[in-house]
Amino acid sequence: MKAFEYVSTASADIAVKALGGVDGAILAGGTDLLSRMKDYVTTPKRVVDFNPQSVVQKETSPGGVPTWTILAGTTLADLLASKALREELPALWQAASEVGTPQIKNMATIAGNLLQRPRCWYYRSGFGLLSVKDGKNLLREGDNRYASIFHTDGDALFVAPSSLAVPLIALGASATILGPKGERTVMVSSLYQIPKRDSDRELTIGADEVLTKITLPAPQGKNATYEARQKQSHDWPLVLASVSLRFDGASVSQASIVIGGVAPIPYRAVEAEKAMFGKPVTLETAEAVAANAINGVKPLSGNVYKVALTKTVVKRALLAAVGNRYWEEV
Amino acid sequence: MPSVWPENPRLIGTRITRLDGLVKATGKAKYPSDMHPEGMLFGAMLYSPHAHAKIKSIDLAPAERMPGVKAVMIVGAIKPGSTLRFQGDDIAAVAAETEEQAWDAVLAIKVEYEVLPHVVTEAQAVAPGAASVFKGTGIVNNQKKARSQTNGDPEKALGAPGVVSIEANYMAPVITHVCLEPHGLTVRFVGEDKIEAWASTQAVGVTAGDLAGAFGIPTTNVTVHTEVMGGGFGSKFGADIWGITAAHLSKKAGGRPVKMFLDRAHEHLGAGNRPSAIAHVKLGASKDGKLVSLIAETSGTGGAGSGSNFPLPYVYAVPNSSRTHTDIFVNGGNARAMRAPGHPQGCIVMEAAMDDLADKLGIDPLEFRLKNLKERDMVEDGFSKPTVDRTPMYLDEVAMGADLIGWKAKWKPRGKNGDGPIRRGLGMALHQWGGGGPATNQVACTINPDGSVEMKSATQDIGTGARTIFAIIAAEVLGLNVTDITSNIGNSTFPPGQPSGGSTTTPAMSPPAFNAAILARDELFVKVAPGLNAKPEDLTLADGQVCVKGEPKLPWKDACRKLGQQSIQVTGKSSPGLASQHGGVGGCQFAEVSVDIETGVVRVKKIVAIQDTGLIIDKMTWETQVYGGVIGGLNYGLFEERVMDPTVGIMLNPDMELYKLAGASDIPEIVVRAYETPAMKARGVIGVGEPPTVSTAAAIGNAVSNAIGVRVPHWPMSPKNVLDALASKEGKA
Amino acid sequence: MADLEQKTKQGASRRDFLRGSGFAAATAVITGPAIASLDEAKAAEPEFKIVSDTTTLKLKVNGVDRTCEIEPRCTLLDTLRNRLDVTGPKRVCDRASCGACTVILDGDLVYSCTTLAISCGGKKVETVESFDSGVNSVPHAFVQNDGLMCGYCTPGFVTACKVMLDHNPNPTIDEVRKGVDGNICRCGTYVGVLQAALAAAKTMKGA
Ligand SMILES: Cc1cc2nc3c(=O)[nH]c(=O)nc-3n(C[C@H](O)[C@H](O)[C@H](O)COP(=O)(O)OP(=O)(O)OC[C@H]3O[C@@H](n4cnc5c(N)ncnc54)[C@H](O)[C@@H]3O)c2cc1C
Ligand code: FES
Ligand code: FES
Repeated sequence: MKAFEYVSTASADIAVKALGGVDGAILAGGTDLLSRMKDYVTTPKRVVDFNPQSVVQKETSPGGVPTWTILAGTTLADLLASKALREELPALWQAASEVGTPQIKNMATIAGNLLQRPRCWYYRSGFGLLSVKDGKNLLREGDNRYASIFHTDGDALFVAPSSLAVPLIALGASATILGPKGERTVMVSSLYQIPKRDSDRELTIGADEVLTKITLPAPQGKNATYEARQKQSHDWPLVLASVSLRFDGASVSQASIVIGGVAPIPYRAVEAEKAMFGKPVTLETAEAVAANAINGVKPLSGNVYKVALTKTVVKRALLAAVGNRYWEEV
Repeated sequence: MPSVWPENPRLIGTRITRLDGLVKATGKAKYPSDMHPEGMLFGAMLYSPHAHAKIKSIDLAPAERMPGVKAVMIVGAIKPGSTLRFQGDDIAAVAAETEEQAWDAVLAIKVEYEVLPHVVTEAQAVAPGAASVFKGTGIVNNQKKARSQTNGDPEKALGAPGVVSIEANYMAPVITHVCLEPHGLTVRFVGEDKIEAWASTQAVGVTAGDLAGAFGIPTTNVTVHTEVMGGGFGSKFGADIWGITAAHLSKKAGGRPVKMFLDRAHEHLGAGNRPSAIAHVKLGASKDGKLVSLIAETSGTGGAGSGSNFPLPYVYAVPNSSRTHTDIFVNGGNARAMRAPGHPQGCIVMEAAMDDLADKLGIDPLEFRLKNLKERDMVEDGFSKPTVDRTPMYLDEVAMGADLIGWKAKWKPRGKNGDGPIRRGLGMALHQWGGGGPATNQVACTINPDGSVEMKSATQDIGTGARTIFAIIAAEVLGLNVTDITSNIGNSTFPPGQPSGGSTTTPAMSPPAFNAAILARDELFVKVAPGLNAKPEDLTLADGQVCVKGEPKLPWKDACRKLGQQSIQVTGKSSPGLASQHGGVGGCQFAEVSVDIETGVVRVKKIVAIQDTGLIIDKMTWETQVYGGVIGGLNYGLFEERVMDPTVGIMLNPDMELYKLAGASDIPEIVVRAYETPAMKARGVIGVGEPPTVSTAAAIGNAVSNAIGVRVPHWPMSPKNVLDALASKEGKA
Repeated sequence: MADLEQKTKQGASRRDFLRGSGFAAATAVITGPAIASLDEAKAAEPEFKIVSDTTTLKLKVNGVDRTCEIEPRCTLLDTLRNRLDVTGPKRVCDRASCGACTVILDGDLVYSCTTLAISCGGKKVETVESFDSGVNSVPHAFVQNDGLMCGYCTPGFVTACKVMLDHNPNPTIDEVRKGVDGNICRCGTYVGVLQAALAAAKTMKGA
């Protein structure tokens, strides 16, 4: 790790000030940032240890839809400890429960999770986000077993790493961001973009901005997450999907279906969402809807297996939302 | 007269907790990497970022000027013009006041590279026109063919009427040792010509010799301590370039101690690995299931110079066979011995082919295996000729294992394991190993007038419980408790002890330990007999008492007090009759898995491991080793894989995250049983560190194929490999 | 009305309160985090303090006040091992994936390899060395159940086990598995580790 100067604060205002005009980085739980710094992939001149509170709360406004607020410093452990969250936002709870390890859950924050940088092994080896060297895309030519299967025409072939972004987008969450020019609120989905050049970032948040909280409307309906991974103990999802469904009687009146591990941004399966409309969730409909989720898929040389996996994961997330866990062994 | 182990042992073969357990479990044990002698500097290595490069120039001066830096040097024979043959190849080293300063200084060293074309995968290495890793006799296109071994006429036998055969490819990747404590040592150069080191090594004696050799000083001037160490698995047998470099840095820094341990990436890159195995196999049998022929063309890579051979045919009797093995060289770190070198690969290839052929023949693969056992053990342990007929042993062991896994009730032919998303499957595999140990070691036993007993030898504990083994043997002979004995090991100046490799430590060290305890006991008898008005031969020891003709007469401590000022000090040697007269052990393993055919995720549900290893000294640490071997094999079967990038030539997962290793939630129910008949015990002590890791990955692969109805030819059994195999079956159908 | 859903562990879970806020106002000596409300902290903290050089760190390790010189980039792990000679926690992956460096920081189980020492000023660090090792202890159960071989991973496992049992004195075997899933053992001692945790749960209750 290279030497840096250090600032510690619990105040977002001060954090923004401390980031101003320097090559700085916010340090939250440190589980991502410090590893990148040890690998010399990220070498900030100043590290701003931003340590706000860990609070999850649900606010009811008279007449309106209740709102969930999760402050930036909320650890995954604290998120998971919330019984109400587990009941009402199982998609988020499930995704958080599968992230990392007990130690990581105690350290990692929601902001850090959403804003962690890709785990792509070329990026982590210092070949840049797009891993293009001498005109060759290393990920396209090399070992791309964990890489994208959607949006693969461009050079950004890594997958967006955050497990929590997937349910939060499905649940329609927003992020509040404080910058030198004040506060702004964006949809969580807008935190991510597909970089075109190596100098682009995959995150839209500015280098001098700080994420302060996540808010989301209490969902009306059912939501769930399903994740497929190689190891049972800590491991990254190969593919995960979150769904949030509203019902009109037994039929789905609105569906959000978001898939992680398949694209450089959390991938919204729009066609599958449409296909789900007006149908009840059954084994048959889920299977058919999931088939729509892979429309337009373009896998790379070594990740064709992810196509079948994506179908399964979407199907299972839909069924999990209605309590059908057909794949569990009896 | 050949010695014999006690016929009715009180301690040997029982479950005894390890003596150094608590000091380890409380974090108080000081590992070589924990040492911090006064004035210590921190060392760090600069290693090649490129797979293949020539050093154009190298400038240490900027590093020398960095704050806190006390010594900087080029490593080994590196100089401008030198070729680096793999990412991780060593270049230079630094010692500084703090570790952070040492890293900064490493970054400050200026090296100009001429990057050369590389090959890092087997396919790349053998492609026409591939860059050459190095030139050598017999190496063509990065390949060196071993002499092919032929028995009988395999082609003719395979083509004979009525012979059923399969033709298949199997592949197991390179994996690395991932010792938790990295390679390295803490070392102090003392005066002009002495060295003291705390090394993470499997061989204190070899390490001392390496250091002495590097400086041209007598080995007696070098002391290597290894009180405890954090895992080696075959990769830690000497001082290595890193240890020698650290000693040079210490010397340069005026004798200040230097701590030098590799970082995790360097550990993956340069500290050893198990070679890959690629096999093209034809195996044929008569319709009634007797093997007739094996034709195998195999290859593998052990890196930029090491070989990759493995035993094949394995375990089974094949009357006609031909085998050609080709070593493929790549720009990758060199292989080192890794837990049963060669055998896991041989086992995967042979046992996969056995299963595939049994399936084609429509025979229960268990029955098929039993029909084809060899009459004589093929494994020679290097110390003695095996003379054991393994067939009846395998028959018993397989019967035990089949019973414990429920083979009869649960096994179904391939593809007949249900139609839901989750398929269950059973698989099995047999294995063998040498074991045994040479008779060249010594153990000193001291009985002091205060009654304390010390056992001492220059061997070391790599997690196998060596201290405890000495104490059990001494306590058995002296009629004491295990905790009454002090075992001092892990010091190169002690009487010569066995390097911990090849499962030889316990078999090599138990006989001299037994001999030492007996010699010491007999000397004590001579000393105390007159006072008891008895003849030495009338004396025995039991329950902390000296007995005369079986009657307890004198408590141990009182007897020892009679020694006056003089301790008894004897040195035991290996004596015949105790161990490894008939090396060669074996066993079998069974795996039950569930495979989710929609996700390709494999979960191992249960593993049964049956193992013979002669006489067992400590049942508890023995079992732990078998569990450990099985879990190592489970990692090989499910998770491990070194991933290389062909374009830039680097390892993509030199970590413990994408280099996947099992955690607690990945561990199935594991049932371990010793095959421990009186005949087995009579064979004496034979080691167990390696054999139980051999067949696990093979058994898991076979269970997966049994579950899903198609062979997954590539290890590990990852979702990708499983789904790819399922897709290729659909493609064919 | 805000219905404050969440307050996990009793007492001062480190993020229930502000951490480091006392530090910003103070000198280069890092003292404990003041327990203050957000508003108070804002008021008391108009500007920020930059630490760019070696600084003095004070923290409580295993009940003892310790002081040492660190750089901002020193991890808690390297500070413990290299500067304070607390070597129970080991450096193995150095990237938050193996658990060998596990310590208890203000009551929470964390990886010390990915924690900056400078953010631990005034905090309480407990390492395996401070645990009870008597007959009802977790380390004792590891020995009795042979949950260790080379022992290099063991301090991390013992620490994770102890915290798991502190939170859940009655774990099922799957809960034990989850509790130690942040730790990796290369020798393959998991069977003994799981038995040890279950045995420790029993004896600790019996005690
Ligand atoms: C073994 C292992 C397994 C893992 N498995 C998973 C997994 O399955 N799924 C998953 O999603 N993740 C996984 N992770 C990653 C882990 O979840 C992240 O490292 C963690 O969530 C990051 O949170 P943190 O608080 O530690 O962030 P930090 O490391 O402190 O920060 C991460 C990034 O976010 C920025 N940042 C943090 N807070 C703010 C803020 N308030 N405003 C602006 N920028 C900010 C930082 O500057 C930094 O760039 C795994 C990690 C490991 C080591
Ligand atoms: S050393 Fe910290 S988790 Fe591995
Ligand atoms: S006991 Fe050796 S790594 Fe766990």
